Amino acid sequence: MLELLLFPSVVIFILSFIKSEKTKKALAFVAFLILIPTTKLLMLEKPYNLLGDYLVVDDLGAYILFVSSIVGIAVALALMTIEKHVEVTKNAYRRFYRFFATFWVGLILSILSNNMGIYWIGLELATLSTVYMIKTNHSNMAHKEAWNYMIVGAIAISLVLFGIILIYASAKPILGEDAMSFDLLLAHAKDIKASFLFNIGFAIVSVGMFIKMGFFPMNLWLANIERASFYPVAALFSGILESAVIIGFFRFSKIAMAINYHYTFIFIFTYTILTIFIVSFLIFRVKDFMRLFSLSGIEHMALIALFWVSGGTFAALLHFASHAFLKPALFLSTGVLESNGKYKMQGALRGYKGKKGAIFWVLVSLFFLAVISLPPSPMFFSELYGFGSMIDLAKQSDYLLEMLGAIFILLVLLSIIFYKFVEIYQDMKYEGEENEKVVYTSELISLAVFAISLVLLLSPIVMNYLKGIS
Amino acid sequence: MVDFLIGVFLATLITSLFTTRLYRLLFWYSLNSLTLGLLALSISKELDDTAMLITGIATIVLKALVIPYTLKYLSQKFHLIRQITPEIKVQYAVIFIPAILVFTFYLAEPITLMIHNHTNYVAVSISSLFLSLLLMMEHKNIAPKIVGFLSMENALFLLGITATNGMPMLVELGIFFDLMMAIVVINLLFHREGLKNA
Repeated sequence: MLELLLFPSVVIFILSFIKSEKTKKALAFVAFLILIPTTKLLMLEKPYNLLGDYLVVDDLGAYILFVSSIVGIAVALALMTIEKHVEVTKNAYRRFYRFFATFWVGLILSILSNNMGIYWIGLELATLSTVYMIKTNHSNMAHKEAWNYMIVGAIAISLVLFGIILIYASAKPILGEDAMSFDLLLAHAKDIKASFLFNIGFAIVSVGMFIKMGFFPMNLWLANIERASFYPVAALFSGILESAVIIGFFRFSKIAMAINYHYTFIFIFTYTILTIFIVSFLIFRVKDFMRLFSLSGIEHMALIALFWVSGGTFAALLHFASHAFLKPALFLSTGVLESNGKYKMQGALRGYKGKKGAIFWVLVSLFFLAVISLPPSPMFFSELYGFGSMIDLAKQSDYLLEMLGAIFILLVLLSIIFYKFVEIYQDMKYEGEENEKVVYTSELISLAVFAISLVLLLSPIVMNYLKGIS
Repeated sequence: MVDFLIGVFLATLITSLFTTRLYRLLFWYSLNSLTLGLLALSISKELDDTAMLITGIATIVLKALVIPYTLKYLSQKFHLIRQITPEIKVQYAVIFIPAILVFTFYLAEPITLMIHNHTNYVAVSISSLFLSLLLMMEHKNIAPKIVGFLSMENALFLLGITATNGMPMLVELGIFFDLMMAIVVINLLFHREGLKNA
């Protein structure tokens, strides 16, 4: 099975060295092959040992990998017409795919890893390969941001490793070298005597991951990088790389919650609310699509973390998949929406003629309204369930009033974001000049893949699967 | 012996914070890595741990020889600026660096209380982490920032071998692999940096 998972990446890597126009379609086709092993993994009895105790597939890992593979396929489709919207050399295009293949290997390792060390290695591999993807854009700004990503990303990932070492040191006296395994750590969480050391390790790991996701106080670095790079890179960041980070957060926080729930909850609760507070005002001041979607992505990742520690596993996972489909869809649409210039929002949704044009603006409108949680968007339901789980948690504790106050503040902040998105949507549809714009079939198929996936998220089979993940 | 090596490790890092020439900085990084490798060898002998012995040898070969040589080669190939003046003036740095050391020893106290072996080394590795961050911050040029990143990795490696008596072999090798991958990416980024300086 591992061979099947790695096969598309290896083929893409080899194909990227062939200097022929024909490889372009082949590269997109090969990217589709990832769907075969990921679907099979979903159906297998779990836990399934993919590579000894190092790579173990559980329901959570299989789900996140499947969602990521759909995003990967849709991005590969959109890549087919990238040169129609931005200037990209053939060499840079092939190199992009070379690093895309490396990126996938890193992701598979980190998503399916049952070992903290291998998780880190996979995440580092994925991070390093994205550095070149940013640089595919040959502008000075992209070059500067590639360095920025390299440095800040390295600091973030080093913090994660620092935390992992402390966690390992806290559990090694009872588990020996097995103290690296997520499942054993969870099973023996109560036996860890140096819980203070574990908590410090967890806090440092979390801060490293939060920096990578653009949480407080590093809210703008990711937005600037996504602005500087080509739009498929931003889609990969939000749809796949963040998935690899958040699964790590899920796994680490599960152990931390088993050791000391109170500390973990207060830490994550404060951090996420602070992040949403800052991000909502940054969104209010935003002037371009890329930064808008990027900052909105941070808000959603903060909500996912908050729902998860509040005990709303189902809500967090539903919100995660909705985010993973909606954000890349919007980032890919940006490539088309910015046909009139990077910072022109007015009239961005006008001028799409014919059937293709109509389908495009309808899809983008739906994505735009779905991302602000308008029903029947999956995000509407996930937020409903998420806030529900927060209230349930408050009922069981002595802090009902404080929690209700926090939910109220959160709703006020989310309404600021809601207002800004509605205002921008109105600008896109009803303001500005109407210039004729072109949208290509592969881009429409890519957006359709996301739309179908979003609809399927609400199907009973997916709901039951998510409810089964504890 | 271990105490002497850990002293040299910290000393080379502090010296690199005052260095104003790129090649000299690479030399200090190389010496820093060599000390780390020798430390790993020394601890491996103490614990009779073959995995750490291999890691120690790999550290000396890769970090003390291959990486500094590659970085020097790349800087020559792409004509990188060799004059690297730190943004923090020397008179402030001499106050700032000991302050960081004292602060991190104080900060690491609760952690060191829970680690039974090599307690002071854990504090040294945490302070090295902060000093490496300072190295990254005090330079505007890219090359010293890269050395700062590599030194940070050395500090984490030191933490790994002192706080946990060594991480599992597979993880250590994976970290080395990622480091080599980082060098590949740095090579690609340097290409444009060279074009800018040309």
